[in-house]
Amino acid sequence: MLRVAALSRIEVYRRAGVSVRLVLGGGVLSLLILACALVSLSLGPVGIPVSHVASVILALLGIDGGEFSRTEQLVIEQIRLPRIVVGAAVGMALGVSGATMQGLFRNPMADPGIIGVSAGGAVGAVAAIALGATGLFFLALPTFAFVGAISATFLVYGIAAVGGHFSMATLLLAGVAVNAFLGAIVSAIIILLPDNEALREILFWLAGGLDSRSWEHVRISVPLIFGGAAVITLMARDLNLLTLGDDEARSMGVRVGYMRTVLMTAAALATGAAVAVSGTIAFVGLVTPHILRLVLGPDHRVLIPMSAIGGAIFVVVADTFARTVIQPAEFRVGVLTAFVGAPFFILLLIKNKRQAYSL
Amino acid sequence: MSSLMGVRGIVDPTNFSWPREVEGLNGFVTIPAKPERIITASVGHDESVLALVPAERLVAVGAFTKDETFSNIAEFVKDRPEITRDPETIIAQSPDVVVTSPFFTADGIDALTRVGIPVVQTELKHDPEARINNILFIGYILGEEERALQFAMEVRERYESLVGVTSKAAPQPRVLAVTQYSDKLWVAGSNSTEGGVIVAAGGVNAADEAGIEGNQTTSLEGVIAMAPEVIIIPQPVAFGANEFRESLLNNETLAEVPAIKSGRVFVVESKHFTTLSYWNIRGAEDLARMLWPDDFSANPSPAFSLAE
Repeated sequence: MLRVAALSRIEVYRRAGVSVRLVLGGGVLSLLILACALVSLSLGPVGIPVSHVASVILALLGIDGGEFSRTEQLVIEQIRLPRIVVGAAVGMALGVSGATMQGLFRNPMADPGIIGVSAGGAVGAVAAIALGATGLFFLALPTFAFVGAISATFLVYGIAAVGGHFSMATLLLAGVAVNAFLGAIVSAIIILLPDNEALREILFWLAGGLDSRSWEHVRISVPLIFGGAAVITLMARDLNLLTLGDDEARSMGVRVGYMRTVLMTAAALATGAAVAVSGTIAFVGLVTPHILRLVLGPDHRVLIPMSAIGGAIFVVVADTFARTVIQPAEFRVGVLTAFVGAPFFILLLIKNKRQAYSL
Repeated sequence: MSSLMGVRGIVDPTNFSWPREVEGLNGFVTIPAKPERIITASVGHDESVLALVPAERLVAVGAFTKDETFSNIAEFVKDRPEITRDPETIIAQSPDVVVTSPFFTADGIDALTRVGIPVVQTELKHDPEARINNILFIGYILGEEERALQFAMEVRERYESLVGVTSKAAPQPRVLAVTQYSDKLWVAGSNSTEGGVIVAAGGVNAADEAGIEGNQTTSLEGVIAMAPEVIIIPQPVAFGANEFRESLLNNETLAEVPAIKSGRVFVVESKHFTTLSYWNIRGAEDLARMLWPDDFSANPSPAFSLAE
């Protein structure tokens, strides 16, 4: 009975207007991300009382609060806060890009990696490590990863647009081929690399992580991620129409080719920036929009902004576990998101399959 | 030769003729005759072999053994043919025996064994007793028992002379071995080679105390939480050790860490701290000189003797 009641509440919510869903869903998720960020700020190898955390935050906002030590202030301001901001931005990018790809491909199994952005980022990062470029300048690794991510995306898109006729099916197949090719490049570099330390670095980058993220990483990633997410959010109505099919969308006045290019570019830029600062973090872009679609419905005007916040929550929570579960050592956040995301996704698939058969 | 009694791996410590049988991690192995052409598949084993046999008997080595960044014997093996973990490159050198570390693959051992090459996989533990056991065990495999006993005594004497001082020194400082590759910080906890060196030098391994096992990544916050009194950087200078040291000393977030406050942050010779051989004792001697300057001469320790 309880389950029926809960389901009916979700159904009522899904049928409510866009504004209502945005306000309610956005309100709940915003409170949740704030709470998660505060809890995350309070946890770490250095024990800092919650009251001191609050005082530091108030001081950051220019409000004179309680007492805290200089070390506590620096730990929160220079270590935990930038890491949480980067984590939230990465989750936001993956969530929004996942929802966009699922909409564009009209397939809930799509994720940002489908257009080669993750594999391209991996080739860039692996090349930077293998060539020893990471020591050349501070942000060498994210720069190489970003260039790799964006180049791969344009390669996939270019293949799909060869001959002036764009095809989503070709895009999908080009994505599969380019992903396989880039994966082979990564494998070849790993096999040929004689340096054990570099191999270990590559392995860790591929497992995704937010260790040592600083305000510099915030500065290079957040503008691209917020920019990309904003563009996609503004075009959410057009994305809704694109999910009806190209002909239907065209008949409703959508410039299909243009919209698709802009949406894909925005998603690629956001994901590329995210991959550049975090490595490969699996399942966030796949699972977050999928879960939120079950609750909020498929309307992208709601789904896109909620996926942004949902993705941010997912990554911030996962990273909090990653840096505290074996503290003062660290776990890899990409491994945790896959540990949680994959079984959860399988459960969803089984549940959906059962429901489909019971109809 | 009664001193070979109790050496792990020697099946019959009274048998000094050929063939002789040993028990490696890969099971019982028969060595048919005194090996003249020897190959190992790790830097640490190459270092041990070179202490026991004339250099020409070590017929080929891996790339790391030739690289003076990682190897303490690079200058002696520069001209040797290079092998990889691919069994074919080892078979091509026609070795009489191959001594490997536990990291060598079972497939590789199987491939070598199938072509009739005796392969002995030895244990690799971090404590000095295990290092000495390995010297004696490898000496027996190579038919160099007398040299092995002599060299084991040299290593033991250096170790005992070191800990004779460091074990009495007090208060023992909390030492953290930390390195940075790319943007990741690595620390060495319990059961790490660096951790064993710290303890032998009379320090307390801060990462071990914090519950870290082996070599793990941490954050700057982790370094603050471990609050070391001394930080050592066992990272090659070519890999940015000096720049990393400067970045630690100039990082405002770490200002309250005791080691940073006192400026006791040292770049150390990484190959003495990370190699898996008796050379770790040299690392402990290096570190002891830093931790207890009043108790040890400032002059570097002498090199270990080599087989003639």
